[in-house]
Amino acid sequence: MIEIKKFVGFAATTLLVSLNHASAQDDVLVLDDDVQFDGDFTFDDDLFGAAFDEDSSANTSSWLDGFTIKISQQFSGQVNNHSVDIAPGFSLPRKADLETNRLGANIRYQNAFAPGWLLRASGQIRSYWKDDYEYEAAGDKIDIEYRVNEFFLQRSFGQHSLKFGRQTVVWGETVGNSVLDVINTAEFRDFNIIDIEDARLNQTMLVWDYFGENSNFSSFVNIYPEFNPAAVRGSPFFFEPQFNLTDYDRDSSMLFEAGTQWRRSFEGSDISFMAAYLYENQLRYEDPANLIGDAVAETNDFFLLGFSANRAIGKLLLNFDLAYSHDVLADSFSFPGTASLANPVNLKKDQIGTSMGFEYAISNEQSVSLGIQAQMLLDEDEGLLPGQSLINDGVFGSWLVRYSNTLMNSDLVISSTLQGDLAANSLLALVGADYTINDNWAVGGQIINITSNEESPLLFFAEDVRLSATITYSF
Amino acid sequence: MHGKLLSKGLVSLVAALFLIPLQSIAQDLSGREIMEKLEDNRRATSNSALSRMQLSTCKFGVREGKITCAERPRVKSLESVGKGYGADLKDTRSVAILLDPPAERGIGMLSFIYDEGARDNETWLYLSALGRVKRIASGSSDDETEPGSLFGSEFTTEDQDTGKLDEYEINLLEETTESGREVWKIETIPNAERARKSRYSRSVLYVDKERFVELRIEMYDQYGKEIKRMLGARVELMNGIWVARSTTIMNLVTNRLSNMAFLEMHTGIDVPDEFLTQRTLTDAAFRETELEKLRAQID
Repeated sequence: MIEIKKFVGFAATTLLVSLNHASAQDDVLVLDDDVQFDGDFTFDDDLFGAAFDEDSSANTSSWLDGFTIKISQQFSGQVNNHSVDIAPGFSLPRKADLETNRLGANIRYQNAFAPGWLLRASGQIRSYWKDDYEYEAAGDKIDIEYRVNEFFLQRSFGQHSLKFGRQTVVWGETVGNSVLDVINTAEFRDFNIIDIEDARLNQTMLVWDYFGENSNFSSFVNIYPEFNPAAVRGSPFFFEPQFNLTDYDRDSSMLFEAGTQWRRSFEGSDISFMAAYLYENQLRYEDPANLIGDAVAETNDFFLLGFSANRAIGKLLLNFDLAYSHDVLADSFSFPGTASLANPVNLKKDQIGTSMGFEYAISNEQSVSLGIQAQMLLDEDEGLLPGQSLINDGVFGSWLVRYSNTLMNSDLVISSTLQGDLAANSLLALVGADYTINDNWAVGGQIINITSNEESPLLFFAEDVRLSATITYSF
Repeated sequence: MHGKLLSKGLVSLVAALFLIPLQSIAQDLSGREIMEKLEDNRRATSNSALSRMQLSTCKFGVREGKITCAERPRVKSLESVGKGYGADLKDTRSVAILLDPPAERGIGMLSFIYDEGARDNETWLYLSALGRVKRIASGSSDDETEPGSLFGSEFTTEDQDTGKLDEYEINLLEETTESGREVWKIETIPNAERARKSRYSRSVLYVDKERFVELRIEMYDQYGKEIKRMLGARVELMNGIWVARSTTIMNLVTNRLSNMAFLEMHTGIDVPDEFLTQRTLTDAAFRETELEKLRAQID
């Protein structure tokens, strides 16, 4: 509870500091919003005159200019003391607890070091302080973690561009939950990261782009496919498995992924067709032989055919994605101890999925977007043994609504997200505010509330109220 | 010395001969013709042009009776490349890339502005968080910036729009003075179709009669209240084009102002068509190489 108080204190202090910083200078009369400007008023642009005094020839470039560094301190936690009834007569206590207390640095570097050549690298370092779950998982010691995100070399010549190294490939138009956004793996480690854009992980790939006169091709080969990492011990998503979840044993086979996308823009619309040979990002875990040792991670390869399109009509942007997947596992989200004889094992199916939605600009400051993702296994009963059923039968998927309001000339962005599954078993509601104090400093806060019934895996987080606060310095 | 005086006199004479007919022609122009000439001048600033600009935005207040910033302005610098297309080069394609602040470095915006009223302008934005180019519906906004505005400033794409004059009723109200210059005062009122896409029900422009540059624009909402005012200053001849090097737009509702300072503007640049495509947003190696070639044309 003391930690929660500290956290709330930090959030309040951060807000006060930022508001104080943003307050008007003492000798300037701040005007009311409803002030009338009838007739003339005096203004001269001398306060921006320094811009014209700049000697542009004096600009000198340095390789250090390519660095962008963002340092942030983040607190987050679950603040609602409650319990969850997960079975008749059995409830799980959920105490208010600080989950993250971490200082991080995101470093990005880009350098076009020669004509047609570019090096880009980005990475992050995290230091986990007292009361962070990583601190506790490390035996109550300050833990430091680093990760390379992007790291690629690019060569562009004529109508071609080649990129080799760690990077992301994003397919699909629907922002947030596209059925085609399956090339890169993702890690949802904490509840304060719920957007796929923030959770996407880079992989080592060769990407070849061909920019034609009217259309573009983009192809990739991934010679070291990676998989969604297992939940980190201590994180909200971690549960104690019956057997250790290990990475895939690569000694047994050579893995690769490849795909290509053709894209063309028309007036008011963009369309794409794509095809790929991929591995499912989620490993399937089976119990070890004789129930001794670690769980056995299994991969599954499949083919993907896709189509995506958008259409802008004034302030409305319509998005549509269509995916046909051949040979996906019917029960790929299987963990040791959670599967039963009632579920089929290694049963491959074809799947059709679509994600569609719209973004609408209510005004220059406000926008609302809706995305719906729906998937269905084809011939779902075929191959099932008597008494077996699929974990996902019929149409399954999710929906997502976002609203954002930009205030104070973009200094303050208030956003809210509602996310749920099509079966209406769970609902995740998020309200966030991000305030830019100046070119370097920014603060942000989030409140997340989770509602779930017993049909959803989010049941363990039902009635959670989660707060987070972040202060960021960029330079 | 005598030679110098003679040459000065000759220059003055030529200038006078040139200006006198221009003035007399100018007297006879209709509001529509003035707007066309104004827009021709605007387009010239972005046709085959490479510019470097600084955008400063702040909340404003009053000090000693003068409007001034009530807080430290937020400053963004950007580089912009544009080129005219279509009949009489009245359509414009442009790319703007943010150079500063560091947190926003590399965010790029590609815009196709069409002269014809029936054609909606098109905008694409590259956001590294999304990892791809995103088409922006007119006026749409998202987390990192406000595409309806120019990189979060009070300048909106509508304020920088050219063409579509057929969708406006244009009235020449009077001839007056503004900032010590002789100007035409012109009123533009959008028709029903344009009004649906516009924030303004009426605009009043003060156009320099000699230079065809707006020195002041008042923009009114549907209730007749002035909601924005734009002021042009530091009018200079840059590469043969009269340009208000400092343009300030004040939002009289939010009491925020943005100043756009043209630090450099170079026209007559040979801009390859492929530079004004989505490739420039996504292919940083290509973008930097081509920008170096464009900058080299200045040198």
